[in-house]
Amino acid sequence: MTDTGAQRVVIVGGGTSGWMAAAALAKLLPRRCSVHLIESEAIGIVGVGEATLPHIRAFNDRLGIAESDFMSWTRATFKLGIEFRNWGRIGDSYVHPFGTFGRGQGEVDFHHYWTRLRLQGLNPPPLERFSMACTMAREGRFTRPTTEPGRITTTFGYAYQFDAVLFAPYLRQLAESLGATRTEGKVVDVELNGETGHIRAIKLESGERIEGDLFVDCSGFRSLLLGEALGEPFQDWSRWLPADRAAAMPCRTETAVTPYTSAIAMPAGWRWRIPLQHRTGNGYVYSSAFVSDDEAASALAGAVEGDAIAQPRTLRFRAGRRERSWVGNCVAIGLASGFLEPLESTSIYLVQQAITALLELFPERGIAPSDRDEFNRIIDLEYDRIRDFLILHYHATERDDSEFWNYVRTMPVPDSLAEKMELFRRRGRIVKYREGVFLDASWVAVYLGQRVRPLGYDPRADLPPADALLRGMGELEAEVAAAAEAMPNHLDFIRGYCPMAAAA
Amino acid sequence: MSALGEPIRDVVVAGGGIVGWSAAAALKRRLPWLGVTVFALPPPPDALADRIGPTLPSIHGFHGDLGLRDADAVVRSGSAFRLGTRFENWVADSPDYVHAYGEHGRPFGTASFHQHWVRAAKLGAAAPFDRHSPAAMLARAGRFARAADEPDAPLSGFEYGLHLDPPAYLAMIRAFALHCGVREHDGVLRSIRLRPDGFVEALELDGGEPLRADLFVDCTGPAARVRSALDDAWEDWRRWLPCDRILIADGPPAPEPAPLDRAVAVEAGWRWSADGLRRTSTGLVYGSAHWSDEQAARALGVREAAPVAIAAGTRPQPWLRNCVAVGDAATAIEPLEWTNLHLAHSAIDRLVAMLPDRDCAPVELAEYNRQCAAEAARVRDFAVLYYAASGRSEPFWRDAAAAEPPPTLLHTLTQFRERGRLPFHEEETFGRDSWLAVLLGQGVIPRRADPLIEVVPPAQSDAAMAGWRDALAQAVARAPTHAAFLQMLHRQVTR
Repeated sequence: MTDTGAQRVVIVGGGTSGWMAAAALAKLLPRRCSVHLIESEAIGIVGVGEATLPHIRAFNDRLGIAESDFMSWTRATFKLGIEFRNWGRIGDSYVHPFGTFGRGQGEVDFHHYWTRLRLQGLNPPPLERFSMACTMAREGRFTRPTTEPGRITTTFGYAYQFDAVLFAPYLRQLAESLGATRTEGKVVDVELNGETGHIRAIKLESGERIEGDLFVDCSGFRSLLLGEALGEPFQDWSRWLPADRAAAMPCRTETAVTPYTSAIAMPAGWRWRIPLQHRTGNGYVYSSAFVSDDEAASALAGAVEGDAIAQPRTLRFRAGRRERSWVGNCVAIGLASGFLEPLESTSIYLVQQAITALLELFPERGIAPSDRDEFNRIIDLEYDRIRDFLILHYHATERDDSEFWNYVRTMPVPDSLAEKMELFRRRGRIVKYREGVFLDASWVAVYLGQRVRPLGYDPRADLPPADALLRGMGELEAEVAAAAEAMPNHLDFIRGYCPMAAAA
Repeated sequence: MSALGEPIRDVVVAGGGIVGWSAAAALKRRLPWLGVTVFALPPPPDALADRIGPTLPSIHGFHGDLGLRDADAVVRSGSAFRLGTRFENWVADSPDYVHAYGEHGRPFGTASFHQHWVRAAKLGAAAPFDRHSPAAMLARAGRFARAADEPDAPLSGFEYGLHLDPPAYLAMIRAFALHCGVREHDGVLRSIRLRPDGFVEALELDGGEPLRADLFVDCTGPAARVRSALDDAWEDWRRWLPCDRILIADGPPAPEPAPLDRAVAVEAGWRWSADGLRRTSTGLVYGSAHWSDEQAARALGVREAAPVAIAAGTRPQPWLRNCVAVGDAATAIEPLEWTNLHLAHSAIDRLVAMLPDRDCAPVELAEYNRQCAAEAARVRDFAVLYYAASGRSEPFWRDAAAAEPPPTLLHTLTQFRERGRLPFHEEETFGRDSWLAVLLGQGVIPRRADPLIEVVPPAQSDAAMAGWRDALAQAVARAPTHAAFLQMLHRQVTR
């Protein structure tokens, strides 16, 4: 069939995912589609201070967004990783860095040498001291990575912590300048084609009827098109990820503006701490089976550092994803397609991957099943891999101080994760995949940070003599420390580079 | 959770060909505390990895890990370089094309280079795809250079393989292994003695002591004389790879060896010709259902037909208990694209990196086997591609093209045919540019071009592509001929 003219893309929902999709489609496929976004100011957006993964930088680059401009507009800070506190045991703390341990070169991974020394009773310094990103995070330093091969300052990446409530309008401005249009209004009805089951149009409260060729569902948890109108079933993962509520409450940035996000384990879940330039986002992600909303809210209020700016508000969700994210002529992006708690800051990453896949698989008017199937394959794989990584955080614990922790510590986990954990426990091996968001160093950080300690290590790590190995590690530790020492303080770097714009 | 067992101390490698000695050398060199013994059974004629001269670029990484320098691995063992293969007559009424390794074109604008090429091809304005590959252009000109380190230089971003002289290479790798401390054992294999738990206890020989070890590495070719004692599970690939006979005939060397070998499709299979430094390797691969051995011998121009039989397929578990099959013992595949030795090297590397304890814990072996299976499947897919996307009218070829491809290849073909997209697969041997070179070379043209390139007008794409071709042509003209390069290398080494 022939494919003439631009397709009418209708995006329902104007939060972060809606405007990211609108800006990307308008920028990169200007001849293929017209972009029309419907949002209602009456419906709030979920955005609560977002922590992201380094992938966001590629997305922004592709859209031609200048980093300092974006950061100052969204009052953003830099993020070198996530600090996990109280996960393995109460009192534990480790950083999951955006970067490697050691130089990330050589045929045997660094953690094998480190494990060897530990098993030989030679007490190597903590693993974090061999990570540029961890060390910078702990010292509160920041500068951007360099590119000369071999330098320790090339071994980290970074992402942002920003105010999502400000990011959507920033993208809106960009999308509208590229020709996207916006209609204010609440969707009250979805009109299906009786034969194909495709969406023909949506109707707004105002009576307006909006037709489209491709509908992008960015309506959030409600999943207005994919879930409600098309009835796509939801795969429930709450038996592994029992958290189903979050209480969110911003506070003043009284304490240090850390170049990392914190995830602090609590009796029935965990608490996030995301420092922005103007305030700190806080929230308690918990399981309602183990704690009441009121208890959770007061636990959060009692735990935040700094004066509260607002009362806690409660969000409800369920872990899992829709069986398919693209059905007929409807593509769901973000929360409308599924939900994984923000423990590893994957929400915006999943939005970005869905948009990238949609750009690569942008259909013709007669949508080819191969486009749809490939999109769903890609998105399912992303969700499934992240799911296992998140479950690991709960399951790899020694905590037995609450019913919640007893449950997650002893619950059966998916076979795919059980095998990964067994491989690591035996010999510190990481299952190798090149595709997927979390690679070797991420798994190492969480395993070792949560007391999953291998019984053995790669036998090649026995080759260097112990004294030479200790000496080499000492030099590396000193190099990392000196490099961090020479970097500016995080807040100073921000002040010179991307200070927040005056309050609007 | 089980505790770790005792470490592996002694390894017996069965097989005295290139694969066996390569495995032994790598194990001893990289895990020097192991005692490694090669049980030097002479390789059978169907052990292709031990017999075929042309190799993929991955051989350089294997040499690097062993600390073997080009002086030994290339010059003294009489190897030549190879930049790729010219495919002739695979598609009726289509020009021949070169599959060379590495970059084809430089990306510009908002999408992959090949999408610009696809749009131009659909408008009838594209120069052949291989004209944008530095290695293919060098190869067609009979010239050779190593890829430059500067990414902006035209002659960069490519790779090359070797054309080994198998007897000389075997002598070199054997000498190297012995030098590293590998022991050699000769004898005749009588049987495999198993322990009550099914592990291999020893190889029983005619006369002399049995050979005991903690781990047995089977490099005996498709018969897998050790590994097959444990089970005979087998995944049959013959419905996709219709050639089941190979005829090999070496001839005298060419006066100026070309760095480009040829694979020519014929009525019931294909024949190759590859110039080495000391001999020219030729062979014919065919389906016995369509050609008799006599017909094949005539087609190759040899008097006597002594073909080797191959039954394409793989062991779903190359590693079971304390016995791991490597190379043709794990995967039997025809030599199209020269993957036999590559699969052996890759397995050896994985074996070194994943060596378990004496108990050979199933969870560790499963990860090894998962990686091997994924790799073998994609190597198979790459070979099947030539048959699935062939365009010849003889019954052999029509039958081959009619077979439904394996699911992973079908996925690639569907995505590519629709819109030129190459889906990602784990453990891929051939890079994206290799897939593109063969897909486009075989005439698989996507139905539509990627809409992401529409922001770049066609004239701008054409100019960028033409500019790149000019830059390549100029750089290629300045490179030495393959013969001159080899002479230079020999002078450096023997000086």
